[in-house]
Amino acid sequence: MNQQRLYKVLLGPHISEKATIVADGSNQVVFRVTPDATKEEIKAAVEKLFEVNVVSVRTLVQKGKTKRTMRGVGKRNDVKKAYVRLAEGQEIDFLNFQ
Amino acid sequence: MQVSVETTSGLERRMTVGLPADTVDGAVEARLAETAKRVRLDGFRPGKVPVSVVRQRFGADVRNEVVGEMMREKFVEAITSEKLQPAGNPQFEAVKNERGADVEFTATFEVYPEVEVADLGAIEVTKQAAEITDEDINEMLESLRKQRVEYKPVERAAQDGDRVNINFVGKLDGEAFEGGTANDQTLVLGSGSMIPGFESGIEGMSAGEEKTIKVTFPAEYRAENLAGKEAEFDIKVNTVEEGVLPEINDEFFKSFGSEETTEESFRAEVRENMEREARNALRNKLKQSVVEALDKANQFDVPGALIHDEIHRLQHQFAQQMSQQQGQQIDPHQLPAELFTEQAKTRVRTGLIFSELAKQLEITASDERVDAYLSDVASVYQDPQSVIDYYKNNAEQLNQVKAVVLEEAIIDAVVEKANVTDESVSYAQAIAPAQPAVEEASEEEKAE
Repeated sequence: MNQQRLYKVLLGPHISEKATIVADGSNQVVFRVTPDATKEEIKAAVEKLFEVNVVSVRTLVQKGKTKRTMRGVGKRNDVKKAYVRLAEGQEIDFLNFQ
Repeated sequence: MQVSVETTSGLERRMTVGLPADTVDGAVEARLAETAKRVRLDGFRPGKVPVSVVRQRFGADVRNEVVGEMMREKFVEAITSEKLQPAGNPQFEAVKNERGADVEFTATFEVYPEVEVADLGAIEVTKQAAEITDEDINEMLESLRKQRVEYKPVERAAQDGDRVNINFVGKLDGEAFEGGTANDQTLVLGSGSMIPGFESGIEGMSAGEEKTIKVTFPAEYRAENLAGKEAEFDIKVNTVEEGVLPEINDEFFKSFGSEETTEESFRAEVRENMEREARNALRNKLKQSVVEALDKANQFDVPGALIHDEIHRLQHQFAQQMSQQQGQQIDPHQLPAELFTEQAKTRVRTGLIFSELAKQLEITASDERVDAYLSDVASVYQDPQSVIDYYKNNAEQLNQVKAVVLEEAIIDAVVEKANVTDESVSYAQAIAPAQPAVEEASEEEKAE
């Protein structure tokens, strides 16, 4: 797997009410990722960048909203999110990373 | 809470205070929980932000805030229990400030010096008294007449004190120079408004006459190209007017806003005014003399913070005066602080002495004293009662009045006990501004 590619896969943490709930309840971390990222890439990227062990990755694509303006219909970008389950007892402290 | 106080230098104290970890952390947690209810974050509904997220985001800020507040709070507590009197604001520094550990901080501040006022009997005060004589009044009338002098054209040669209207052309080596030419210039001979020799050169000329006079500019003339040079002025006198002093009559009285009709009563009014002026001036001098004597007799260190505040105040005052007198706007903070240091020190010290004296002698701005002062102030106005009411209903103004009254009372008390030398002076001496001792001192320094 291309090492350069791994640095581009993760766009950033997704912080929301649900994200904090799954972080506490099922030891999962939520990321926004590039739309073409695969689960394998995400797993490799998280393990490499945060030095943790990833148990599983689940992804979803949140479709962008269609917005109507005077000039017709526009569409916002889709967002791909990844729920990454970490090995028991591990966590990621985002304060120390960018 | 453990408190320890050490003296670093003079009036400066450093207080070290330790706070137990659970008090601080408890307060921080409580504050965080409270913040969580108010804070708005993307991805969370308002009020639904978990405390853990808030702590991650704002933990450090909240902690600093809480510790800062606690430091101030505990400082006040510690001050009271240690019976210290801090002057100015303390400087806080958190030595140890970590979650789960005891917090320790130091507060550096200055204390008020222990003022022990030296024996008042040993203080030398000069009390001046002025008697207003008929001569003084004559002089005053004379100068009042001079203020209302009227000029009337005369057909004779100009002499000292006359007002002339002239055209002149100034020439330097035969060439007219800039600013040396004017038409229709009025000039009072002997007023000294022109360079020396110019006015005396005109004396003896009558209206319509032309003459060329030679004048040497003084060496320190403000235009450098002219200083020390000899110049020729072609002068044409247009008119010569004689100054006529007004008659002492009703009209003259009226021009000064007086309703008196006889010279006698006008003189009485003038005398009254002069007496009031002299009384006020002498009172101020006495006050100054008392302040100086007290200052000299009681030398002690004053807290730097107070001096700093006072300098600040003086700077503002000075800037305000400048803007009023000369229409100049100055930034008070640009004025050099050194200029005011000495004055500020004296003022702070006097203030401390006065407050100590008030305590010692048990002088307060009692209602009777305030009332007496107010009715005195109000008596000058047309409707005294409304003036009194104005002050009474205005807490800020009333406080100022109280301060003045207290000061006066203290000065009276000091004068009573001090070693007073009576001195009688003339009216002119009485109203002349007193020479501040500070200036004398600086001149002595220069002499050395």
